[in-house]
Amino acid sequence: MKSLDPRVNRLPVPGTPGTIVPKVPLDQFGSFEVFVQAKEGKPFQHEGIVHAPNLELAFVLAKEAFTRRFTCHSLYVTETRDVFVSPTTEAEQNAYDLIEEATSPAAKEPYEIYHLPRRGKQHIHAGTVTAGSPEEAMWLAKQSLNTKAVFNVWAVRSAAIRRTTPEEAILWQTLPDKKFRDASDYKGGDKLKEFLERRNA
Amino acid sequence: MNELALKELLYKMADDLLILGHRNSEWTGMGPILEEDIAFSSMAQDKIGQSHALFQLLHQLGEQAPDTVAFTRNAEQFHNCVLVELPNQEYDFSLIRHFLFDTADALRWEMLSRSSYEPLAQLARKIHGELRYHTLHANTWVKQLGSATEDSIGRLQRSLDEAIPFALGMFEESPYESDLVTDKVFEGEAMLKSLWMAQVEKVISATRLHLPDWKLINPVRGGRMGKHSPHLQPMLDEMSEVFRMDPTAEW
Repeated sequence: MKSLDPRVNRLPVPGTPGTIVPKVPLDQFGSFEVFVQAKEGKPFQHEGIVHAPNLELAFVLAKEAFTRRFTCHSLYVTETRDVFVSPTTEAEQNAYDLIEEATSPAAKEPYEIYHLPRRGKQHIHAGTVTAGSPEEAMWLAKQSLNTKAVFNVWAVRSAAIRRTTPEEAILWQTLPDKKFRDASDYKGGDKLKEFLERRNA
Repeated sequence: MNELALKELLYKMADDLLILGHRNSEWTGMGPILEEDIAFSSMAQDKIGQSHALFQLLHQLGEQAPDTVAFTRNAEQFHNCVLVELPNQEYDFSLIRHFLFDTADALRWEMLSRSSYEPLAQLARKIHGELRYHTLHANTWVKQLGSATEDSIGRLQRSLDEAIPFALGMFEESPYESDLVTDKVFEGEAMLKSLWMAQVEKVISATRLHLPDWKLINPVRGGRMGKHSPHLQPMLDEMSEVFRMDPTAEW
């Protein structure tokens, strides 16, 4: 029987002998990781995920989902499956201590490396290495970017990232003017106080 | 400079943006997915903001304050094209309208960035980034859904066929068209229309959708002269309901 929940694909009832069909894909969008650079010169920081049918639409949707308030200088997205994650550590242990030597015969290409400096915070861009695999990228990052203990390391192929193009830098041009999107700018408490004072006068 | 001509241009642009901004905001909380709901709502807010900036220019030219003109006129006093006042229907129609309107809107503002009326040229440069996002959003969705599944292609095609005659009504000429061109305020609806057709053709050709033969389409005109569909007045009543309760209230 077909479920009303689109995520549920039940095993079919016994069918015709000899029929082999591909597995039905999930009726859902994939997820994409969003990184934001709030101000020029600051590192990109992981802000969350969006659901989208492709990388380009992930970029389009991430722009309003994550940068509709305050300031933004640049934004980029990558598919969740393109993010490679190191072991996560507890307490005082450095995640780099758990990364072992790795080499790859594959063609070298740039990888972006991200650190989780504090538990419960976001991953922050730490630098770029040139490697043949995510494992090799993390091993190389251990040599060049391992300056302070971190809880977790991410590696993403640079080529898998949809970046803001130079012509798109204007997308956030009017953002600082949009104070009405900042709840604190309305000063509701002050307005209420004023109103009550006027009423009691 | 013919001030009447300038005001007519500013009013029709402001009204288009106010009405479509309000229509699109009706999707807030009801969009097809969370991310799209947020994006569409933000762009609706941008449109209201752009219309507010135009109403302020009109105010500087001696017209009533922005809230007064936005909330106290009746349908026949509005200069928006009929396309923007049509009900939202399903999301495919709203998306196609967004694509057809915003393509024209972005081109119009690009032309106006060269306007001899400096406040308008300045505003055009200021909102350039917003418009770039609106067209990026529209083009990306149309390219995706216009080539995805039989269902999505069929829905967009039906909406496109329905919206095109109304979309051509966007370019209904003003009685002052030649004054605007002579005064170099705006290069005119005819030029805008040809730029728009080329851009729409470019995006649609990257999909499995097809455009009708332009020559066979009867544009739905009249909006610019205050002749509207029956859908506008009820929308205005709803939009101005709170304002009319107490027009002197400070928000």
